[in-house]
Amino acid sequence: MQRNDLLWVEKYRPKKIEDIIGNEEAKASFVEWLKTKRKSKKAVLLYGPPGVGKTALVNAAAREFSFTIIEMNASDTRSEKAINAVAKPATSYVALDNFSTNQTKGKGNLLFLDEVDGIAGNEDRGGVSAIIKIVEEALTPVIMAANDPDVEKLRPLKKVCLLIRFQQIRIPLVIALLQKICLLEHVKAEFEALERIAQNSRGDVRSAINDLQSLSEENHSLTLQDTAMLSSRNKDISMDDTLRGFFSSKSIAEVSSLLSYSSVDYDDFLLSVSDNLPRRYTNPAELAAAYDFVSQADVFRGRIGTEYWHLLKYFFNNLSQAAAVNPQSYKPFEFISPPIRIITLFWTKGKRTMLDGICGKIGAKCHVSHSKAKHDFVPFVKMLLQKTKNSFLIAWFEFSPEEVDFLVKMNRF
Amino acid sequence: MVLNKKAFKLPRVEKDKFVLLMHLGCDYNRDQGVFSIKSYNNIEKLMETISGILDNEVIFLQSCIRCGKDFACGDCKYDELCTTKNLPFGCVCPQCLRDRKHFEQYIEKF
Repeated sequence: MQRNDLLWVEKYRPKKIEDIIGNEEAKASFVEWLKTKRKSKKAVLLYGPPGVGKTALVNAAAREFSFTIIEMNASDTRSEKAINAVAKPATSYVALDNFSTNQTKGKGNLLFLDEVDGIAGNEDRGGVSAIIKIVEEALTPVIMAANDPDVEKLRPLKKVCLLIRFQQIRIPLVIALLQKICLLEHVKAEFEALERIAQNSRGDVRSAINDLQSLSEENHSLTLQDTAMLSSRNKDISMDDTLRGFFSSKSIAEVSSLLSYSSVDYDDFLLSVSDNLPRRYTNPAELAAAYDFVSQADVFRGRIGTEYWHLLKYFFNNLSQAAAVNPQSYKPFEFISPPIRIITLFWTKGKRTMLDGICGKIGAKCHVSHSKAKHDFVPFVKMLLQKTKNSFLIAWFEFSPEEVDFLVKMNRF
Repeated sequence: MVLNKKAFKLPRVEKDKFVLLMHLGCDYNRDQGVFSIKSYNNIEKLMETISGILDNEVIFLQSCIRCGKDFACGDCKYDELCTTKNLPFGCVCPQCLRDRKHFEQYIEKF
């Protein structure tokens, strides 16, 4: 990947500790702990809102102090077994090059457990107690990061850690950083526009940089008017608005930014995009290219399942490319239809409710499951009722006249 | 009342208040008889406690990381959105933020 294609959050990721803006006191405490105070507390827990530099500080410090990072984040399973398999060896040995005379020697491993407040569920069973044991026995620094340290399950972990709090980055500092990026990217930006982005980010530097890139990358200019769409940041973006934004986007970065703020269901969104693509691209070649990207996005959605969320970026990336096959060809279209599957479910809701009620009554009388009643009993009850409408079955099952009518007329189930 | 985070004096306090101040992140220099802030994890509670001791609202002056000048959060137009208003953290003063003349010199700070 060329450096110009990088997302600016990656391109301008802090390389040195001093590159990280804000939280000077937290940075100083962390560096002091890393340099000298590890004897009192073997682990440190960095906590604070997202996008304030916790992970960036760990990465920058590891680079500056020549540590090798062994990282486990929320996308990894963090059960007792997994932690013992990865983290225990990483923290049990001091690097051999500590004993060398080489000036550029490494200091060994540094275990970094990101988003520890996300350790939950059956998959991560025993994770917290395994971490505590590792902290007690560790010969190398153990660093953890969390957004919410008040989670009940982290209470025992907090006792063995030095706690360092990160605050939201102040708006003037965010503006200053955006000014710096604009200068380096040759973006001519109005001060008021940067001010608006910074205010809207609420101290989240990552989202501020993403906003700046999505709004200014194409024209290398940024006016206050360009930031008008940012007002939706702190609201839930509806499916309709997300789709309209998606189809009218002018660049991949713009779509990525939109998708990362929207809280739509990804499966429904994928179906909606798929159903509406023919309205967006009238040229068959463009439509085919767009469907290829949607198809790849669908593959990644399947791989993500409920666990592998680190693949979400590939899902977003493919969808973004589907939207940006030919940005110039965009013409607003009035009606964006919801996915056909959802429409079908909506239209058939009454029928499904009726059938559910019938299956419930059959199940109660015949002592069978709902599903068995639907597949094994309903076809025969239907045939019997079609032959004799006043069958004793109606009274026995306590069917209402509407249910009888429905059963007799239904075509398939 | 405006305080300096590096050194501020308080009237003599009871033992339990003193312990609470230490617990919340204060440090005490016996030789000079001044308090300073050592940990910022409980800074809001610490400010409340100090306000209670002084029986007065307490604010910390902000230090501009560009020019080093002290300024109050009241001078900043973003104070309503700021979650660390009046707390002793580094910031950029309004003059430096708008000053285009020293802009390049200013961003080198980062």
